[in-house]
Amino acid sequence: MDADDVIVAERLTKSYGSSRGIVELSFSVRAGEVFGFLGPNGAGKSTTIRTMLDFIRPTDGRVTVFGTEPRIDPQAIHTRTGYMPGEFGLYERMHVHAYLEAFAAFRAGAGRARIEPLAERLDLDLGRPIHELSHGNKQKVGMVQAFMHEPELLVLDEPTQGLDPLIQQTFYALIDEVRARGGTVFLSSHILPEVERVCDRVGIIREGRLLTVDDVGDLKAKALRSVIFHFASPVDASVFTPLPSVVAVDPRGDAIALTVRGELDEVVKEAARHTVVNVETREPSLEEIFLRAYRDGGAP
Amino acid sequence: MSALLGVSMRTQRRAVIGWGIGLAAVATMYAAFYPSVKESASELEGYLQNMPEAFRTLIGGDYTSPAGYLRAELFSLLGPILFLVYAVGAGGRTIAGEEEARSLDLLLATRLTRTQVVRDKAVALLAAMCALSAFLFVIVVVVGRPFDLTVPVEDAAAACVMLLLIGLAFASVALAVGCATGRKSRAYGVTGAIAVATYILNALAPSVSALGWTRPLSPFRWYLDPDPLTTGLHAANVAVLLGITVVGMALSLLTFQRRDLAS
Repeated sequence: MDADDVIVAERLTKSYGSSRGIVELSFSVRAGEVFGFLGPNGAGKSTTIRTMLDFIRPTDGRVTVFGTEPRIDPQAIHTRTGYMPGEFGLYERMHVHAYLEAFAAFRAGAGRARIEPLAERLDLDLGRPIHELSHGNKQKVGMVQAFMHEPELLVLDEPTQGLDPLIQQTFYALIDEVRARGGTVFLSSHILPEVERVCDRVGIIREGRLLTVDDVGDLKAKALRSVIFHFASPVDASVFTPLPSVVAVDPRGDAIALTVRGELDEVVKEAARHTVVNVETREPSLEEIFLRAYRDGGAP
Repeated sequence: MSALLGVSMRTQRRAVIGWGIGLAAVATMYAAFYPSVKESASELEGYLQNMPEAFRTLIGGDYTSPAGYLRAELFSLLGPILFLVYAVGAGGRTIAGEEEARSLDLLLATRLTRTQVVRDKAVALLAAMCALSAFLFVIVVVVGRPFDLTVPVEDAAAACVMLLLIGLAFASVALAVGCATGRKSRAYGVTGAIAVATYILNALAPSVSALGWTRPLSPFRWYLDPDPLTTGLHAANVAVLLGITVVGMALSLLTFQRRDLAS
């Protein structure tokens, strides 16, 4: 723990009657970094976030934000934070502009001047009633209210769901700007490339437990990839087994499916000694990357 | 005025106008029937003498006088039903509705505290119900006149105030259940059941001796007895209904403060 850590979780636990919840999460988010919180849906990302903002209270352990326990003084945290939930409802009868003006007023006027520039960058029509907006446009309203008062901390829960790619780029640019002015971002996501694109460090959560916290660069090096080589004739699969980067070998007739950690260089060179008809590589799912890597003892 | 109060009042405006129109239509319809009721007064009174006692207590006797007619038709059944449906609906929606619509997290992520949110939204609800009650008062006074359905203005006002107060009492119960559970259906169900049960209790208690002692437990006892349309406001009656409202409000603030919110 460090004096300028913005978020510190110590054995943070939230138990529900069922299996849902989070178990003894310990991590810290440093001032000025973009921290990715990566995990499949239902892993406990939203639960963690909602304890940070005092919407729910931990059953054990604790979390502090700006050195404050949410339960003790939520307003001290909220005043310095912008929040975008994963799923949220807006006041459907209101017009976009009136809604965002009201949210500026709820924050003592902070951010009012940034409504129009942000809406313009996100291509959001302020003049329309909210009930006419598409899902993507409602996401934009959520983004504007989170970013407009230029908070020191942004807490974003699956923010790019339903955004078209162009707007996603604008969104990443907004995060880069927050980083540039020294702000801190806590971004939850289930999309690895997104976390790779915007985050400095990443915590990986699965079934309520934190598997690891790592620099994004190190994570990539550890990530598993699946490669399938189709050969002209059957090749002895055991030639791949001794290679250090190969985690698993699965012969399938003329083809061999490999699970590889890190770079593909070794396996491609080995495969090239035979007649390769086709190569398939697949961006591995989160489950494949992390579950196997860490369960099989691949963790550092 | 706080920004949240402004927003909450604005989002209720449509509903208030709709309910106002409904109340006006109902009141006008009953007023229009009054001349024919007055014409056949003696037959009707004779007919009512033969009705069960519980029914007569409910209607309150003296059906054909303006005050008696207004009480029987408007203030003892349909008025409270309309008012309570609005009150329970709006009270139950106040917090639980936002929570179920997932708009509450965004609100609470601003500088607003949970207490401020409940308070401002409750004040907006109070304003809406005051508006409905005041509107009903105007309707009763203005629309009654051409049909000879006239009661002293202060008596009409007293009846509308009592209707407002019983509405507020049930609104605060619905608000409290919504604050405690986060579920609209729970708020509607529990409060609606209490309303129906205590209404029946108040109607039956006078004629069922075993139930006699329970009557003070019914808010309707304090709403209707003594009749505000003929006797005006009574401090004890006002105090009981206001007391329920205050307790409901306090429970709302307390339970909402302590609870995990649904995502």
